[in-house]
Amino acid sequence: MVSSLAAPKLTTTFSSSTTLLFSKNLPLSLSNPFLSLPLNLTSSVTHLHCRSLSFCHRHRRGFVAASAEPDNGADSARKYDFDLFTIGAGSGGVRAARFAANFGASVAVCELPFSTISSETGGGVGGTCVLRGCVPKKLLVYASKYSHEFDESHGFGWKYDSEPKNDWSTLIANKNAELQRLTGIYKNILKNAGVSLIEGRGKIVDPHTVDVDGKLYSARNILISVGGRPFIPDIPGSEYAIDSDAALDLPSKPEKIAIIGGGYIALEFAGIFSGLTSEVHVFIRQKKVLRGFDEEIRDFVAEQMSVRGIEFHTEESPQAIIKVADGSLSLKTNRGTVDGFSHIMFATGRRPNTKNLGLEAMGVKLNKNGAIEVDEYSRTSVPSIWAVGDVTDRVNLTPVALMEGGALAKTIFHNEPTKPDYRAIPSAVFSQPPIGQVGLSEEQAVEQYGDVDIFTANFRPLKATLSGLPDRVFMKLVVCAKTNKVVGLHMCGEDSPEIVQGFAVAVKAGLTKADFDATVGIHPTAAEEFVTMRTPTRKIRSSPEGKTDSEVKAAAGV
Amino acid sequence: MARKMLIDGEITQTNEEEAHYDFDLFVIGAGSGGVRASRFSANYGAKVGICELPFHPISSEVIGGVGGTCVIRGCVPKKILVYGASLGGEIEDARSYGWEVNEKVDFNWQKLLHKKTDEILRLNGIYKRLLTNAGVKLFEGEGKLVGPNEVEVTQLDGTKLSYSAKHILIATGSRAQRPAIPGQEFAITSDEALSLEEFPKHAVVLGGGYIAVEFASIWRGMGATVELLFRKELPLRGFDDEMRAVVARNMEGRGVNLHPRTTITEVIKTEDGVKVTTDHGEEITADVVLFATGRAPNTKRLNLEAVGVELDKTGAVKVDEYSRTNIPNIWAVGDVTNRINLTPVALMEGTYFAKTVFGGQPSKPDYRDVPCAVFAIPPLSVVGLSEEQAIEQANGDISVFTSTFNPLKNTISGRQEKSVMKLVVDAETDKVLGASMCGPDAPEIMQGIAVALKCGATKAQLDSTVGIHPSAAEEFVTMRTETRRVSGSGKPKTNL
Repeated sequence: MVSSLAAPKLTTTFSSSTTLLFSKNLPLSLSNPFLSLPLNLTSSVTHLHCRSLSFCHRHRRGFVAASAEPDNGADSARKYDFDLFTIGAGSGGVRAARFAANFGASVAVCELPFSTISSETGGGVGGTCVLRGCVPKKLLVYASKYSHEFDESHGFGWKYDSEPKNDWSTLIANKNAELQRLTGIYKNILKNAGVSLIEGRGKIVDPHTVDVDGKLYSARNILISVGGRPFIPDIPGSEYAIDSDAALDLPSKPEKIAIIGGGYIALEFAGIFSGLTSEVHVFIRQKKVLRGFDEEIRDFVAEQMSVRGIEFHTEESPQAIIKVADGSLSLKTNRGTVDGFSHIMFATGRRPNTKNLGLEAMGVKLNKNGAIEVDEYSRTSVPSIWAVGDVTDRVNLTPVALMEGGALAKTIFHNEPTKPDYRAIPSAVFSQPPIGQVGLSEEQAVEQYGDVDIFTANFRPLKATLSGLPDRVFMKLVVCAKTNKVVGLHMCGEDSPEIVQGFAVAVKAGLTKADFDATVGIHPTAAEEFVTMRTPTRKIRSSPEGKTDSEVKAAAGV
Repeated sequence: MARKMLIDGEITQTNEEEAHYDFDLFVIGAGSGGVRASRFSANYGAKVGICELPFHPISSEVIGGVGGTCVIRGCVPKKILVYGASLGGEIEDARSYGWEVNEKVDFNWQKLLHKKTDEILRLNGIYKRLLTNAGVKLFEGEGKLVGPNEVEVTQLDGTKLSYSAKHILIATGSRAQRPAIPGQEFAITSDEALSLEEFPKHAVVLGGGYIAVEFASIWRGMGATVELLFRKELPLRGFDDEMRAVVARNMEGRGVNLHPRTTITEVIKTEDGVKVTTDHGEEITADVVLFATGRAPNTKRLNLEAVGVELDKTGAVKVDEYSRTNIPNIWAVGDVTNRINLTPVALMEGTYFAKTVFGGQPSKPDYRDVPCAVFAIPPLSVVGLSEEQAIEQANGDISVFTSTFNPLKNTISGRQEKSVMKLVVDAETDKVLGASMCGPDAPEIMQGIAVALKCGATKAQLDSTVGIHPSAAEEFVTMRTETRRVSGSGKPKTNL
């Protein structure tokens, strides 16, 4: 009934059903659920998601961490203020806190005050995803995509007296109003789950104590879920550059922007600014964008973005930013200097927020990138301290942080040691056109399985034949030749992220190409192409005699 | 060489191999099913002929066109119009995203229609080439049976050709029908609706099926005033009740005037347009009255009685599980058999026919878990069982998961329209029996879910899949809490 916590579409059923549960099961007043929570164990009945008293009580037992070893160094006789203290109320932290509370634990979470720009002193309930990542990014993607839709609409008979123009300040004001609404909703979610929210900067002072701006809280378990932050490399003039936080909340629209980086953040912002009619230049160190993605997808997306007017400067690394007398910025690279930028944005990576948390003093091990090292149950080198989400730098995606947070709550408070499962995690790049993918790239599959069948489709979608725009769609299935299992699925084109989700279920479940083929298509859609790929584009065989790199794809369709 | 490949699936008529036929297969009707069957049969080595009526957007006994309903008068032109109509809503929504769009936005119906016709002609050409490339011989004209192994094609100039064939496949599809209502000649069907010269500023649509709903959405999206009249309480009979209500609510929200429990008693032509009288005595004058009340199989002029091919009471060709009629060498696929009338199903039937007859592998089409979509605005897509069907078929409990949410895009556009998703799960086995969604991109989202469902995916398998964030589709893998549990014998506890 409740949608994923990070999803901003907080359901109507959510509010109504919680009310329902509340009135049915909880005759006690909940006017101030925070008040007695940390002190009084019986108040755990106020956790809204407990279906009944007995349910809660059943799970009150066994709160000693239940993973590999039950002992986390906690003194079982000692009374703690909280069963769990979470530092950081982003996707992972909120999920872990809520679920722990649902299992009957007393939980507190601390978070920095709201700010659209993250820093040592600014954050906000909701975290990167809601305030500086997925959500605002997607809202700007929606906004910027309209220019493409206006272009399309001409081909479909729509006409305006003058070309539509975007007013940046209206857009940003509406976006920020939405973020404020969402951060409020997240606070309510925590409140309704009976989690105490403390505003301030948390710091660990001993394995069972957190200091929030001078006030001490004891806890049986501490969870670090402070996330990551964009990182700008130290080159001359880097103080003139902006990062993705700032790019989502600029006072005015860039006229001409340089985006440095070839990862998904760089591509997403390139699409956003290009769609909002800025002149966009992308500088990438390598030959291609999106390192780690399927090679054909990398080529395809760059080509489609170029067609839409984005200029890529490949194998070009920034060396300095120079502010010119007229106020514009020049970017000096290994290949020369490009002038006249109103903005220069770095999308060159993110770093875990592990400084000034007291981790070193506590002996919590960090890896060389500054990320917290954890075991498969998200436990750090200190048994009572745990970590989930981007701060652990595993797979830095909101739904993965949710999975880690959910698994953690189960492990510690539900007597059910649970490892997050990192197999076949789908992901999307909200470039324009967007990418959706799950499983292995062709290159990874060849390395892993040797013999692989590749099915591809590269077509002009129905919409483009009418609009006359040069949009295309690319789809790819990577099939293990020996088992017939679909081990990778990739798409670049309109609606890719929405399309790939269902197929991710199929790939995760280990379904075969034959299973795909046995499914009837939904006509006319782009997605049906994934179940109607009859002829392999090529068969890759490790044995030389079987090598048939044939391009035999027949015309698709009837 | 083709001879050698001729292996019948089941029957053993090896002695007949001696007989000489002009074709191994002659197909009547070059729509989705016919083209697929002939191409695939040719790929198996069969010598194939196919006949089709001359091209025109509006079909009749003597008009058709290579590509068939889907390409010329169905899926493709319809989807083009849906794209066009959806853009109207997009332009509105753009304003909240900071776009300054003229108050005066014009929509030019003729321009879209013209481009639609160009696209259909292009596809018509592609289909002809597909046939040629597969080595299938195409005849233009009306085909009919003369005997169990003989087809006669009447060409445009009236000359008749006669060919013998070892196998004959009937794939003539179906056509929109008008109900017997006084003045029905003043109403149009979906064929004409896809090719209207003037855009209807005010339209009356009669019918509650997917075609009615789609046209109501299309015209409304382009700015028309639309009245949708249907007999039941809700449109889309046969779909999940909860989803039917969502579609109705969304159509109302977008300005379609719904008239439930209403039918038309009379249509008359007036100076101002076409006037309908409803069974409630209400009178509505509109530019266009569309009857979207059903389609009938094209079996009348095929001379089937002469050969003894059996029809059912709706006029559809009766076939067995292999698409074989009661005459062993005469087969039928697609809408003319009135099984599941969808293009991909006709394709499946055509493929399996070719496999059975010329591929040496008798294969039955599998009708379980066929997904489908209604391209209303926003669309509905479903696969598997509705809640009502699940309850009817189940022995044990049915677990229902629903999610109603405000799509992220609407948070800024302010559009008041919720997306709704639903999973129907067998409580005992955890198997997902049905999935449905009404909201933007639903048909695209449902295809992958359909693969999982077809392969018997459990709710736990959906839950173990990580979401793609932020998408609407991720909701299908993050529905944690059961909305309700209904016992198999009981009634669904919906509030509808």
